[in-house]
Amino acid sequence: MGPREASVFDVAKMAVEAARRAGAELADARAGIDETESLTVRNQEMEGIDRSHSTGVGIRVLVGGRWGFASTSRLDEAEVERTAGLAVAMAKAAQRLPGEAVELTPVEPATASWRTIVKEDPFTVPLEEKVALLMQASSRMQDAPGLSFAEAGLDFFRRSTWFVSSDGAEIEQVVTNSGGGIEAVAVGDGDMQRRSYPNSFRGHVKAAGYEHIRTLGLIEEAERIGSEAVALLSAPECPSEVTTLVLDSGQMELQIHESIGHPIELDRVLGMEEAYAGSSWLSPGDGGKVRYASDLVSITADATLAGGLGTFGFDDEGVPAQRVPIIVDGMFENFLSSRETAGVVGQNSNATSRADGWSHLPLIRMTNISIEPREGTLAEIIGDTDDGIFMTTNSSWSIDDKRINFQFGCEQARRIEGGKLTTLYKNPNYTGITPEFWGSCDAVGGAEDWVVWGTPNCGKGQPGQVGRVGHGASPARFRNVQVGVRG
Amino acid sequence: MSAGEGDAGTTGGRSAGTTGGSGALLGPDEFRRIADGALSLKGADDVEVLLIHEWGGLTRFAKSEIHQSIAREDTELRVRVAKAGHIGVAASNDATPEGAAAAARSALEMAGVVAADPMWPGLAPPAGAPEVDRFFDATAASSPEMRADAVAELIGRCAPGCTAAGAFETTAAELGLANSEGQLCWAPSTQASLTTVVTGPDGGSGFAEVFAGSTEAIDAGAVGTSASDKAVASASPRALDAGAYTVVLEPAATATLVGFLAWVGFGGRAYIEDRSCFSGKQGAQVAAPSISIWDDGADLRTLGAPFDFEGTPAQRVDLVTDGVFRDVVFDRRTAKEAGRDSTGHGLPSPNPEGPFPLHLFMDTGDATVDEMIRSTERGLLVTRFHYSNVVNPMESSITGMTRDGTFLIEKGEVVGPVRNFRFTQSILGALSSVSMVGREAHLASEFFFSASRVPALKVDEFHFSGVSDH
Repeated sequence: MGPREASVFDVAKMAVEAARRAGAELADARAGIDETESLTVRNQEMEGIDRSHSTGVGIRVLVGGRWGFASTSRLDEAEVERTAGLAVAMAKAAQRLPGEAVELTPVEPATASWRTIVKEDPFTVPLEEKVALLMQASSRMQDAPGLSFAEAGLDFFRRSTWFVSSDGAEIEQVVTNSGGGIEAVAVGDGDMQRRSYPNSFRGHVKAAGYEHIRTLGLIEEAERIGSEAVALLSAPECPSEVTTLVLDSGQMELQIHESIGHPIELDRVLGMEEAYAGSSWLSPGDGGKVRYASDLVSITADATLAGGLGTFGFDDEGVPAQRVPIIVDGMFENFLSSRETAGVVGQNSNATSRADGWSHLPLIRMTNISIEPREGTLAEIIGDTDDGIFMTTNSSWSIDDKRINFQFGCEQARRIEGGKLTTLYKNPNYTGITPEFWGSCDAVGGAEDWVVWGTPNCGKGQPGQVGRVGHGASPARFRNVQVGVRG
Repeated sequence: MSAGEGDAGTTGGRSAGTTGGSGALLGPDEFRRIADGALSLKGADDVEVLLIHEWGGLTRFAKSEIHQSIAREDTELRVRVAKAGHIGVAASNDATPEGAAAAARSALEMAGVVAADPMWPGLAPPAGAPEVDRFFDATAASSPEMRADAVAELIGRCAPGCTAAGAFETTAAELGLANSEGQLCWAPSTQASLTTVVTGPDGGSGFAEVFAGSTEAIDAGAVGTSASDKAVASASPRALDAGAYTVVLEPAATATLVGFLAWVGFGGRAYIEDRSCFSGKQGAQVAAPSISIWDDGADLRTLGAPFDFEGTPAQRVDLVTDGVFRDVVFDRRTAKEAGRDSTGHGLPSPNPEGPFPLHLFMDTGDATVDEMIRSTERGLLVTRFHYSNVVNPMESSITGMTRDGTFLIEKGEVVGPVRNFRFTQSILGALSSVSMVGREAHLASEFFFSASRVPALKVDEFHFSGVSDH
């Protein structure tokens, strides 16, 4: 830690004191340092290697029942004082319109320190070792004849936050994420096909250190992934039909994210994101009353889940991390909430208010939204299916503003015939209506194939914020699904 | 304002005020002083310093109340170092000579452990960028009180029973690029956007926005009236079957097609790697003759800086002319690979995606939206698309939803609202089916991309693959 960051806890305290002096009835401040390192190799050439470092403080105030927020990257006393005053000015300006005063649910101010369990600090592992891993994985993918591009990447992220509130909370947290993946691209005859491992869009990211990278098997799986990409070029298109659909754990991650994770955010339900990402098909009074899915489906929001990108000690309002039932045996039970919104449904915050670093206002974000495992392996689910389609690894997603009508693309599919995988298909996709689709779920895999995936690129809010969230997912089966959507 | 080597301009130090945001321009002289901390690095062949300094305010509203009122300021210094073709990049928001020097040392350390890039093109040579002034003092100094009052005016135009959500954002920025080849360019700019979704009884929803370089261009009352009228008109939508329809696309919907076409087609890297939907199609008719698309960062009608993130002056690139595919955009690396010159479309390094056009235009025609509607026997009027994504990049096929005002047209008249559709459609297929082009172009935003200046379109055949419940 350099001299510029040495006093960031003091900066957060100074900010809260300045905000109170400027007229804030309640104030909290997050001084933070974000560090990243990213490496990408393509066809055994270095595509990019970069590090970033960002320091600053964000100050949130409540004045006359209205929020104000201001942030700055300059940490001298005069600038922090000015920024605190700016936050108060922001709140006062909001009072120029009539409206209901913000009322916060209570929280016990904590003095605490929390950090991700890291066995091997990813930022101290030599760059030479990381580059060598990526070069070898890229080389192994290129062993597949006909492959055009063999890309391998590693990403590391560390966020250090010092949270101070005028209620007396003082919380230090350090979150560390590590991720890696490989991607093989085959191009030919006006077509392009892609295979990724362990998942698409930069691989498998977890709240962990470099020890996670060592478990991924990027080199061991590289040749298979390369060969699969090439094979897709000559595969037929996924047929257009209504059929039984089996999804692997990786695609289930995004299915959960888009069609369950977002519509259960209470700020969306209350219309606070209406104009941008949209709202929700759920209403505030739906808890305990709406059937969301078949009785095989239970969903939990768990900010204490080991390895999840949505795992932390306290959210950005100082509320301790929780495990919350969202859907129980198919029935919708609870929203994700913040101190501002939880009172609307007669609850206290369940600690999901998080910001994309010091420069942003906290919003309700998913923690780790996971499907509870049931029974059976992926192989057993396929073996139990007479006829259908098995899709693997997300390639595309789209869903409407109320999170009802969705369409997903996957990298590859296979026909299931008599319990066995047969014909390979390219360009598979499927579409559905959220409660109908989840209502058609008649198999959820067990713990053997349940994986904690990371989604480090969840967009929400204005200015745009990137959330880092997690999903535990098993493979699952759905009946009567439209696949092979064509224009 | 922009400046080439030895002509650093005189606009530095302009204040952005005290209540609207946190910032004031550093100016070219101060940028050069900061950059010198990195440019003086020993042991490197090439050093490049990119400055992105941005501040601004945002007033967000929902249910006709302001619920988020925000001021932000941040600076990024991104330093790229090359030594015998070995490249490293480090970024920091410590905007001091010492911060720049530390980033340069970190980048050099990274360069020391990676293999050389055989296609390393070197840094941009000294060249003056086009002179465009896109910095408006009043916009940079916008106060939260001004934004709140504008929001109040917008809300005041909503019909009884309607509520408004949206955001009024004002930002100021300066982009600077200095390198060891002697290139120095710097440009300030401002942006203002007011976007709203007005919701009314019985499922009515209407969208309107203004996206501009200056708050002067924003008429909050007109934005509110437009969205409110649509919200009232779209109440109680009826369900229609999916299928092929003639559509009249308002500019916001056109912007989705143009933005995604850029993503799957106009980048030089995908093109030379045969991954673009335009690969192998140079000179081919890919759209109706009424369709022309180009990118021009020097045109005053668009936003941002007149040079790219490598310091290459922005050039106009004609991408599609009279429906014929002409060219793609390049940065320095892809230009070297293609045996071309950079067109000034490089993104911040490292950039595995390659170059991208950030200042897109579609040519106007001679029709009004009313004329498009009157000429339609049966079709749909689409206000905008939502959360679109690529289905098949080589076929320029995307999917997405309609949103905030979708209406049935019969016998030349809008006869009522319909529930939202999912479309799955080839963009080039749609552009090949264009029969009328709007006479006015608007700067329209897209969920994932920068704003483009585009007109309304009438597309004779557009494929909807599903419907939603609202």
